[in-house]
Amino acid sequence: MHVPDGLLPNIVCLSGYGLMGGLTWYSLRQIQRDKNSTENIPKASLLTAAFFVASLIHIPIPPTSVHLVLCGLMGAILGYYSFPAILIGLFFQAIMFQHGGLSTLGINSLIFGLPAIASHHFFTLGKPLTGENPVGRKILAFITGFSGTALAALLFSAIVAFNIPADLDSPVEQAAILAFLISHLFLAAIEGAFMVMVISFLERVKPELLHGNG
Amino acid sequence: MKYWLFLLTIAVSGSALPAFSHGTDLKYRPVEAMQIQANYDSGEPLKNARVTVYSPQDSETPWLTGNTDENGYFLFVPDRSLVGNWDIKVRQSGHGKITTIPISDRTELVNTPQQWSSQGVYSPLQKAVMAIMGVWGFIGTALYFSGKKRTKTNART
Repeated sequence: MHVPDGLLPNIVCLSGYGLMGGLTWYSLRQIQRDKNSTENIPKASLLTAAFFVASLIHIPIPPTSVHLVLCGLMGAILGYYSFPAILIGLFFQAIMFQHGGLSTLGINSLIFGLPAIASHHFFTLGKPLTGENPVGRKILAFITGFSGTALAALLFSAIVAFNIPADLDSPVEQAAILAFLISHLFLAAIEGAFMVMVISFLERVKPELLHGNG
Repeated sequence: MKYWLFLLTIAVSGSALPAFSHGTDLKYRPVEAMQIQANYDSGEPLKNARVTVYSPQDSETPWLTGNTDENGYFLFVPDRSLVGNWDIKVRQSGHGKITTIPISDRTELVNTPQQWSSQGVYSPLQKAVMAIMGVWGFIGTALYFSGKKRTKTNART
């Protein structure tokens, strides 16, 4: 789900960098207001490592294979730390594995970072509604994990669909994008289930990890 | 007699003019072609992906367009008079890559048919080592800040 170098017009790449700068500034401001920033940085660093290697784990979903994204999980656990964490993870993925690209780093950070921030707000708003009900918590975790990945796939598809070059056969490309979206709905379900397992485990073992993010 | 001679002349001259014939002439010769193989990171081929070839003279207007086959292969014959870097863009539903093929007038393609050249493609072992190094970097950062937190707590007590 990473946009590689050379597939998007320069103006889109530059706009991506502009928006990425604004969101990074806003996220860092939120982190600065956090009283436990020193305590939360190790957590952010470990989840960045998970995000960094997740793109190397391929799950075969015909006609192609997909990889874990972890936007929902990053957002729910890290809050506003998730945006710089994703940005750093994407940077290393681009320079080490050519997964994505440096010219599209801004766009890719928006594709993954915006759903992560949306997941953070969704999870934070949903927690008081579910209360201590374990089933409610599991449903909330599933929806957060599912919607994070689905939103990232939607953003990716929209950016690609609006930037189909003139020399490309549009209907064929649109059909390929639709197939991509369908395969990523399955991935979203897998990420939802994964999120349920992680959140249930953390609530039992170390519930403080799910509270007090920027 | 004159009538038959006239008909014979028409028949003989007509056979020399392609415009009057319905036959097809097929010729062949060996040429030096460039084969592209497009795969996803997982190793699966990029089937029916759009390939756009740009010549060294014009990086804006496609020199050739086509699609990869079922195995992710695409074959084209570059114009050897256009010496320089040829850009090949392979794309499908937002995935793809651009690669550059340097072609000089002395580039020998036929003698090295089995060798694949690529940019930035690592073996699974290399990838695994790089991933471990990256993860260790992040763990190191986490440990550094955890240590800092502990130092602060100890200083307070």
